[in-house]
Amino acid sequence: MTVTVIPEATVQTTGGTTRATLRRNFWRGVWRVLRRKPSRMAGVVIVLLFAVMGLIGPLLYPDHLPRDDNALYSPPSLQHPFGTDFEGTDVLALVVTGARYVLLTGLATAVITVALGTAIGLFAGFRRGRWDTALMRLTDMNLAIPGLPLLLVLSAVWKFESPIEMGLVLGLLGWGGVARAVRSQTLSLRERGFIEAARGLGLPTTHIIGRELLPSMAPYIAMNMLIAVTGAVYAQVGLFFLGVLPFEANNWGVMLNLAVFNGGALTTPAALPYLLAPLLAILLLTLGIVLIVDAMDEIFNPRLREE
Amino acid sequence: MTRSRGGAVARRVAGHLIRGLVMVWVVATISFVIIREIPGNPVQGQYESLIQKGMSPEQAERATAVLYGFLPTGSLWDQYTGYLGSLLHFDLGRSLSTPGVEVTTLIGHAARWTVLPVLAGTLLSFLLGVTMGVYAAIKRSGKLGDLLALSGSLLHGVPVYVIGLLLTAIFTTLWPILPSGGPVDVEFVPGLNPGYVGSLLQHAVLPVVTYTLASYGGWILAMKSNVVAVLGDDFILAAELRGLKRGIVFRYLARNAILPLFTILALSIGMLFGGSIFIEEIFNYPGLGLLLVNSISSRDYALMGGTFLVITVGIIVANIAADLLYTAIDPRVRSGGSA
Amino acid sequence: MTTSSPAPGCPAPSCPAPGVRIRDLTVVYKTPVGELPAVSGVDLTLTPGTITGVVGESGSGKSTLALSLLNAVQPPGRIKSGTVEIDGLGDVVKLGGEQLRQTRGRKVGYVFQAAQNSLNPLKTIGKQLLDLGRSHEVDDLRALVRDAKDLLARMGMDGARVLDSHQHELSGGMRQRVGIMLALVLNAQVVVLDEPTTALDMITQATILRIIREVHEERALTTLVITHDVGAVAEVADDLAVMYGGRVVEHGRITEVLGAPRHPYTQGLIRAIPRLSGDISLARALPGRPPTLGTLPAAGCVFRERCDKRMEICETVEPQSVTLDGRTVACHAAGRPLPLVKRKEYA
Repeated sequence: MTVTVIPEATVQTTGGTTRATLRRNFWRGVWRVLRRKPSRMAGVVIVLLFAVMGLIGPLLYPDHLPRDDNALYSPPSLQHPFGTDFEGTDVLALVVTGARYVLLTGLATAVITVALGTAIGLFAGFRRGRWDTALMRLTDMNLAIPGLPLLLVLSAVWKFESPIEMGLVLGLLGWGGVARAVRSQTLSLRERGFIEAARGLGLPTTHIIGRELLPSMAPYIAMNMLIAVTGAVYAQVGLFFLGVLPFEANNWGVMLNLAVFNGGALTTPAALPYLLAPLLAILLLTLGIVLIVDAMDEIFNPRLREE
Repeated sequence: MTRSRGGAVARRVAGHLIRGLVMVWVVATISFVIIREIPGNPVQGQYESLIQKGMSPEQAERATAVLYGFLPTGSLWDQYTGYLGSLLHFDLGRSLSTPGVEVTTLIGHAARWTVLPVLAGTLLSFLLGVTMGVYAAIKRSGKLGDLLALSGSLLHGVPVYVIGLLLTAIFTTLWPILPSGGPVDVEFVPGLNPGYVGSLLQHAVLPVVTYTLASYGGWILAMKSNVVAVLGDDFILAAELRGLKRGIVFRYLARNAILPLFTILALSIGMLFGGSIFIEEIFNYPGLGLLLVNSISSRDYALMGGTFLVITVGIIVANIAADLLYTAIDPRVRSGGSA
Repeated sequence: MTTSSPAPGCPAPSCPAPGVRIRDLTVVYKTPVGELPAVSGVDLTLTPGTITGVVGESGSGKSTLALSLLNAVQPPGRIKSGTVEIDGLGDVVKLGGEQLRQTRGRKVGYVFQAAQNSLNPLKTIGKQLLDLGRSHEVDDLRALVRDAKDLLARMGMDGARVLDSHQHELSGGMRQRVGIMLALVLNAQVVVLDEPTTALDMITQATILRIIREVHEERALTTLVITHDVGAVAEVADDLAVMYGGRVVEHGRITEVLGAPRHPYTQGLIRAIPRLSGDISLARALPGRPPTLGTLPAAGCVFRERCDKRMEICETVEPQSVTLDGRTVACHAAGRPLPLVKRKEYA
């Protein structure tokens, strides 16, 4: 306690604080953190943009995108901001319509990863003992087996038909990190006497988990969910890029593959816009999510706040 | 070192080895199941096609067993034990796409094209990331620190192939100063002559830079947060209050901040091994990753299983090595006590 | 005790202990709402060769005061004004760079509380001792190690074994003794101990206090002990300063301060201590909570919110420190006779 005099919260809560005011304070805190660095605002806008793109993007274009045989690999112009592909189709339209497939997988993966990881981590940390040991061995295994090679090999056995199916596989392969993190959070809450105190008050287990543990971990879980979305997007786009999955719908990975291996984008500048457009989309999505995670980090991790 | 410490270390090493062996066994089982479950059962198919070609069942059985490492007939259990048995003799079967060549030979050739660039990339990114991480931590309230951290997060977040493709687009298409693919130009005679070595290095630049950038982000972020954490530790203030020289205080800080990074070392190497699949595909580099992708597209399942096994075991071994290294340098773990 | 290699200029036993004079010291911390004072206008004199105890609740500014003695207030804090004069060193506040570094450790020793990890977890104590010696240009490192072993032996430990240990292999009491050794091994003559007994069990506390007292006398030190434990400080200190809200509200001989407290805060503090002999219900906690930086009143007496003798003047005028027969008290009410319960135990 050398320097204990750093002031605690400057906001004085004067008795009778209800959940509602807490929530209002929380949103005000979110707003403050966002406003302090405009870049974080940009992150929110970017991610919202992608969400809208995934939701209504395909509705903006006809089912079969128009081709133009006279404009194969045409350079960027007003009409085609990112040029056209090998069939004369507008690249921007391909990126926008391809977003849904990619993002849907990401979402499915994130839901499964987080649900599975949280459940396993909570259970292990809560029960401790033999269950904990067994589950953590399983988690170690899950973490140690490299996902990408396994995915590649699996793609030889299963043809991943739909984005949801793909998300299921990715989720089943990727829950280890979340499980370990949630477990250590649970253990640290336990160490702080959280659980014992709740037990002492005679609260049932479901209440302790649902009302005490989960809310205090929610931000953490939310952050992991965002990260899981990007992970899944990358893995899936990567698999399509490598060409080990059947091309059945347009998406960013298919575009990369066709640009590099059919269009020769790595040797001739003509197909370059076709290659760069999906790359740019991925970069932008990453940037948006990185900025949001950074903001969340500050909201939920008070230690960083003062710096 | 006292005897009890030695005992603790021995127990730890033994524990790691046992866990590693279990992992290898699990991975081998996965590999076996996948090869067996491939649609159309290639093992059975091979056996039958050989018989149709006029081989006797015994001959065909033997020929197929050579390919896949287990007999095409017999119960699942027999096949499984047969497969594990040939693994114990480091026999991974024969390749179909390069007929007659043993899978282990192909893997041995490919391995060096993966291992060397991965190690070079790991080393470079570690040095770069750690230095920048210290800098980002010290300047964390300034613009430069923000920028460094953001660059780290971005590079850490972006998938390897995006980095690789962007680098290629820039340095081989837009501004062609580097060769676009392959490990070496064919016009040079292999050997220790300047032309060959120069070409070799030139071709290695982009893959190694990609590996480096891919794991640089992780290092800088981890180092930054470690340095910030250690700066808040009491022993740093205590060292200053004892009047220790700045250089010595800095060494206390750096050593304590770097130490936990060794746990990430394994992760990083694993990530790079996985990333090699993309990097080698993009740069047409004949390493393990490219071998795996090609084996899948040419339906060479023995080669696929073998490559998968080797990549995975390599990562497991790297994991164990990194953990043992950590044990060797952290006195708290070394003496078997908890920190 | 074997004499240590004498420090240049001032061999330990022959040199008289230095005095320390803190004058009008103000330390502020930068916060989002501006700079707030953690220590305001403190005057405190440490008589050469004595142990002065500083007690106060957390947030009273006592730790900040301790760090000021080494000009080591950590950002976002800074010494805004005032002087800290140490005999033979001059004003520590004005020192900087190399000069300040050489002062720390060699002239002024600082001992952390046992629960804090004041030792590098990756190095043995011996190696950290050598780092200390090299930092202060000690030529004869072997003699330094010998001195360290002697000091450790003096404190009842196996020096060779301790020097060969890592921090995590030592118990709290052992770490505390190692901290004292590192603070003294270069023959510093001013020693600051921050909460030396906190987080130790009762028996170890007693041992550490005895060691502090004995080493203090053997080496002719001027010692400052920061603590929130009035009982502990009563065992070792000659003088006692009571801090509240960044001010020294009372200062004097410890027997007098504890025996006949004049400031209402000191009185409340003593009333709050339960004692073995007597009725536990007599122990009465101070009402209210200690102020934090943000809640300190801008004008008037900082203690008035919790004071049972508050007057009108306390709202607007901050009481000045008044020194009367060796006692310094900062209270408007202290001039008048106060109803006192005499406590024999402290006499």
